[in-house]
Amino acid sequence: MAGLNDDAQWIVLMGFVVSFSLFFLAMLLNQSTLVGQTTAEGVLDFPKNDIRDVKNVITESSQYSSDPSKIAILQEDIKSLALSRKGAVVTYTIIPTSNSTDSHKHISIHYNNGVTEYNEYWTSL
Amino acid sequence: MVNEHGQLYTIEGVAAALIMLFSAYLVLGATSVYTPGDTHISDMQLEQLGTDALRMMNTPVNGSSSTSPLQDILYYNGVQGQFDGTGFNTLFLNYVNNQTGSKIDNAPNGLHYNATVSYYNIANKTTGTLPLSTNRNLTGGEHPVRVTEWVIVNKTFPGGGGTDFKPRAVLVEVLLWRD
Repeated sequence: MAGLNDDAQWIVLMGFVVSFSLFFLAMLLNQSTLVGQTTAEGVLDFPKNDIRDVKNVITESSQYSSDPSKIAILQEDIKSLALSRKGAVVTYTIIPTSNSTDSHKHISIHYNNGVTEYNEYWTSL
Repeated sequence: MVNEHGQLYTIEGVAAALIMLFSAYLVLGATSVYTPGDTHISDMQLEQLGTDALRMMNTPVNGSSSTSPLQDILYYNGVQGQFDGTGFNTLFLNYVNNQTGSKIDNAPNGLHYNATVSYYNIANKTTGTLPLSTNRNLTGGEHPVRVTEWVIVNKTFPGGGGTDFKPRAVLVEVLLWRD
């Protein structure tokens, strides 16, 4: 070690700093692709069409709300078919209006397929 | 005898090598490879296409009509256990193949489907399934997606109890695939 030249120590240090920073940048990039993948899959797994569809049929069924026997059949249909064919628990209640001047329909909708839970309180226009 | 000259050149060489390795990493990482696990992307597009077609069929064609074409297809003059399969075939294939410049005949885009109707049997407290229409038999080798549409139809279904027509909610299920 006697003849070792200890010049350029700053350059060596900067070289280490640069290489380590490059390494960490590469790590960040690597992680970002993984995060993007899982986020995209999470979006794809969301049962968007199921929820829209079941909301559509529930609001459509509310046109029979004046006849309790018809509503009871429709509710049983929707509940049983959603459970057996779509694997989702769907319940809804048509809430009677307490105010006689209120002409709107109020429906409380619950959807749960084990992964996604969705609740909505729908009011007609 | 170790010579300590040229330290700056050595460091420069190491830095250049790192930059080149990093560039190669970036270039290789930028290419996307379509792996079997990525088929859900095209599945999603097919699912959206089928869902949109069924939603269009379940919308009354104009303001004066109170029932949608899909409700008419399912109603089929109230014949129990049967539906207008031919009408469904024509309308559904029209919608899913409706693209600019495409000639509408029997599945020009290689789209095939198998449609069924699921209903709730009140007497047995079970769900039953009736065939609606299909343009290709399922062989088991396909990779279909399932699209569904809820329909309310005034019709008596098996186990419906009585002959009076009461509105029933049924589920139209379509297996859709491309080959």
